[in-house]
Amino acid sequence: QHFRGRKNRCYKLAVRSVRRAFVKSTKARREKKRFLRALWITRIEAASLEHGLKYPAFISNLIKSQVELNRKMIADLAIYEPKTFKSLAALAQRRRQEGFLAALGDGKEPEGIFSRIVHHY
Amino acid sequence: VAKTSLTSPPWPEVKLPDPVEEAKYHAEVVQKVNKMIATGQYGRLFAVVHFASKQWKITSEDLIMMDNVLEAECGDRIRMEKVLLVGADDFTLIGRPLLGKDLVRVEATVIEKTESWPKINMRFWKRHNYQKKKIIMNPQTVLRINTIEIFPCLS
Repeated sequence: QHFRGRKNRCYKLAVRSVRRAFVKSTKARREKKRFLRALWITRIEAASLEHGLKYPAFISNLIKSQVELNRKMIADLAIYEPKTFKSLAALAQRRRQEGFLAALGDGKEPEGIFSRIVHHY
Repeated sequence: VAKTSLTSPPWPEVKLPDPVEEAKYHAEVVQKVNKMIATGQYGRLFAVVHFASKQWKITSEDLIMMDNVLEAECGDRIRMEKVLLVGADDFTLIGRPLLGKDLVRVEATVIEKTESWPKINMRFWKRHNYQKKKIIMNPQTVLRINTIEIFPCLS
């Protein structure tokens, strides 16, 4: 818009609108960081869905495998280096499967249960 | 026993590959990448570097501007440690979280030490006669990344 109407000609109106413009720019500088982080997160989510992973799974598995890239970098890599992003997604998927196997255990039943099949006579 | 809907778990069963074969495969891949690095078959290298509490994706002949003061004069060569990732066209080396210093070498020179454009910091509350205006100029430094080198020291 850039000071439409009499705001770009008359002193009193211009003073008020310029003051509001300064205040809005200072507040926006603090919110720009939040906005950019949300943008990076949506981009990473879209890119990881192309490789068959959801964003929380991707990020949590990357952090568990001790890769400390922040979201800005991962978003930039996903845009400009698709092969690198594919390898990161494969790493996260492998760590996820290892986590599942470690959590599930050996697949045996715990001791103390004699049978699951109940016979009625 | 007959198979019901509850005999097997609802998630798909996943089997990891054999660890012995995997170790062989990993060793082969590492040797291949070492050979490629030693013969110099890579084109342009890019690296992800942690510097001034930010992460930068850099290549050679790159300009970087940071919002702080470095204790180096203009024209000083700087070696950046804390490299997180290095990649080329066919391979990438991902650090956990950092790569070794004997693997990668990133050189940069300080070009400029200026101040930013005058930013206006204003606070104003309506009907309370409260108004403050402050002009902030942050010092900035400009670096030029000269080279990124890798050495075949993988294991």
